Amino acid sequence: MSDVALALQAAADSLPAYRDFPGIGARAAVWITAEVHLMFAAFVLGVPMFAVVTEAIGIFNKEERYDRLSKEFTRLLLVAYSATAIWGALLTMFLTTLYPRFWRYLAAIFGPSMWLYAGLFLFESFTLYLYYYGWDRWKHGRAKWGHWGLGILLNVWGTIVMFIANSWLTFMMSPPRDITPTTDPTTVKLWHVIANATWMPVNVHRLIANVVFGGAVVAAYASYRFLSAKTDEERAHYDWMGYVGNFIAMSALIVLPFAGYWLGREIYQYDQSMGITLMGGFMSWLWVIQAFLIAVLFLTGNYYLWLGMERIPGAERFRPYTKWLLAILVLGAIVWGTPHTMIADSKELAAMGGSHHPFLGALGVMSAKNTAVNLMILTTFLSFLLYRRANKRPVVPWARAGTLVQAAMFALAAAVVLFFGIRGYFVEAIVRIGFSVYQVLAVLTCIVSVTVIDVFMSRGAQSLGTIQWGKMPPRSQYALFVLAVTFTWLMGLMGFARSGIRQYWHVWQVMQDTSRYAATPALGYAAKMISACVLIFLVLIAFVFWLGGLAEKSTFVASAPKEGVHAGH
Amino acid sequence: MRGTNLRILAVVLGTLALYTLIANAIPQVQSEVPQTLTLGANVTPEQLVAAGEKVFTGIGGCTTCHGLGTRAPNLLTDEKGAGPIGARCAKREPGKSCKQYLYESLDQPTAYVVQGYQPIMPVMTRQLSPQQIWAVIAFLESQGGTVDVAASDIPAQTTTPAGASGGGGAAPFAGGSTDPKAIIQAAGCTGCHTIDGQGAKIAPDLTHVGSRRNADSIRKKILDPASSTVKGYERFAGIMPKTFGTLMSATQLEALVQFLAAHR
Repeated sequence: MSDVALALQAAADSLPAYRDFPGIGARAAVWITAEVHLMFAAFVLGVPMFAVVTEAIGIFNKEERYDRLSKEFTRLLLVAYSATAIWGALLTMFLTTLYPRFWRYLAAIFGPSMWLYAGLFLFESFTLYLYYYGWDRWKHGRAKWGHWGLGILLNVWGTIVMFIANSWLTFMMSPPRDITPTTDPTTVKLWHVIANATWMPVNVHRLIANVVFGGAVVAAYASYRFLSAKTDEERAHYDWMGYVGNFIAMSALIVLPFAGYWLGREIYQYDQSMGITLMGGFMSWLWVIQAFLIAVLFLTGNYYLWLGMERIPGAERFRPYTKWLLAILVLGAIVWGTPHTMIADSKELAAMGGSHHPFLGALGVMSAKNTAVNLMILTTFLSFLLYRRANKRPVVPWARAGTLVQAAMFALAAAVVLFFGIRGYFVEAIVRIGFSVYQVLAVLTCIVSVTVIDVFMSRGAQSLGTIQWGKMPPRSQYALFVLAVTFTWLMGLMGFARSGIRQYWHVWQVMQDTSRYAATPALGYAAKMISACVLIFLVLIAFVFWLGGLAEKSTFVASAPKEGVHAGH
Repeated sequence: MRGTNLRILAVVLGTLALYTLIANAIPQVQSEVPQTLTLGANVTPEQLVAAGEKVFTGIGGCTTCHGLGTRAPNLLTDEKGAGPIGARCAKREPGKSCKQYLYESLDQPTAYVVQGYQPIMPVMTRQLSPQQIWAVIAFLESQGGTVDVAASDIPAQTTTPAGASGGGGAAPFAGGSTDPKAIIQAAGCTGCHTIDGQGAKIAPDLTHVGSRRNADSIRKKILDPASSTVKGYERFAGIMPKTFGTLMSATQLEALVQFLAAHR
């Protein structure tokens, strides 16, 4: 080894394991930068996915308003990209300076993928600039298809970048079992650690969650523009944009629990004790908070739809059903939020008279909870179906039969969900876990087949009146803000759960956290951190949107026709 | 516009405050870094109970199964009308005191398995130091019974840290025996595996393991349980302890490997 190499090695060996950050401490500094970076990253990865879809709808249906909407989505990305990069750079700086040995360990294993990550981020940025600034230049004919291809490419780069970053954090959770504390990190094969047990489930979960998150933030942006609109046309445009954003968020949210279930299953298979820590250990109370947040999302999302029906002529036919839908959602939320397997001390156990509450314990088990959440999903879908049909009267000859078949499918799906929910109380846990698959399949089959029937049934349907876009009460727009805040907070909470189950390990059972912040904090502290991160993100994203607005007027203002009140959904 | 901005700010801050308040209103549980337990010669029963509770709810991982009412008997609450563990431990096995029964259940968990449950409990004396073991026994006795663990029960000079195995003056594994059946009993293999009709069915049946694996494969599996997983048992991957390689002597390991390889 040369003298220089020896000197470098000596310098590296003398690195302190940890340094502190003034005021808030090293852990909080890394927590905030990582979380805010992740929120921006989720936004810039989620929005291109549905921007490309709405652009395609505009191309295929030849509807200009979808193209404008897609461009407006993309406009929101421009400055958000810079913010993502800035917070990413801050995170790297904090990791290298506050956790130098841990960073050196990660870099020794993942070095090549870190370079690739940086390179792809550059490609992604340039593709975005081409995609946005070439919008009007490549607007027609074959050039438009090329432009759409750029949108696809933007998503490809973004997805690869996310997969690479996910490999680092999932390695920390579930390193391959042959890697031990004594394994030399430079001898580890890169693909071996990338393709770890939780990598693909986290990839899929994040892809879907990014769409949910992006949709919610876009809806909040639109609601702000709606509330500050000066003309009816502008209000109509942003009412529609808010509706589309919320529709995207809620649709993707329905699929998200299934991806979460897969991730949970992989965690259990990788290490039972980690799974039990997550679901029944010190994190058990977290799921009660999660249930509350999901309840807020379902209730607020449905509330927004019900308010939206007030601007649709013909929707009054369905208004009497609203109270029953609300009742099912509230009951479902109560059951889902019922605690069951909680960490309790001996006094608490004695006060309960057992490990579970004598009455509520029966509602807290997975049989009841899975049943509740599946019925809530079905109810939300029914709300959307009523919204979709509000101003239409089907004219196809089989309309009545079609509606009856749809009703029968709802009844059948609900019956399957209830049957397996009740049956679950009388079988062993291993059998009961399998029942959730049947419940999910019943709900998904119902959603897909009822939608297909509805699409065919609404062909040439008689219109009962045009949707009065813009005729929404302001409280509907504040509901969109509640949804955006709740989605963002939920993302922070689940990030804490995923990261927190490693407890006092940087890399699970391979590299221990020996810093003064090694203990995993309780939910109260975590909640304060999450709220701080959400607030920082929301303030910054508002600033970013404002900044974008300074440079360029809204695509609506620039190009919308004066009489442009949207007629459909 | 100012009014709208203020209302939006109020909605955002109000929502954040609500979630933060709820999360702070529920019981606060922090996951601590496990500490090595050091008990002096004059340790009191109260100190033992307090230390035992920490091990029980922390590094011991006992609450993973005990307390759910499904995998293992409840210990801190009533179990089928017999009261908490301190009240029923002396009546479990004839001729065994509460302290003896509890030590046996931690040292040889398959020696007596409560009816209705599977023999899935790991040998805790291999995972915890003697001080931690006796602290847990004191804590369990305190649950409805009388604590009679004393400093004299705890072997001197045994400060094996949490998570470590063997060593530190501990007795040789399986008493140093090279009899494969004694090794299997000491290792608690039948807690999960069946062999010659004995044992549980959580993990693959070992009765004909020699027809599926050669000696090298069996040795590798014992030393590195994560090296392979039999199809159909993926959900139990990670359960098998990784410590057998350090617990057994080379002679014991080879005796066990050859014994299993001969089971065709």
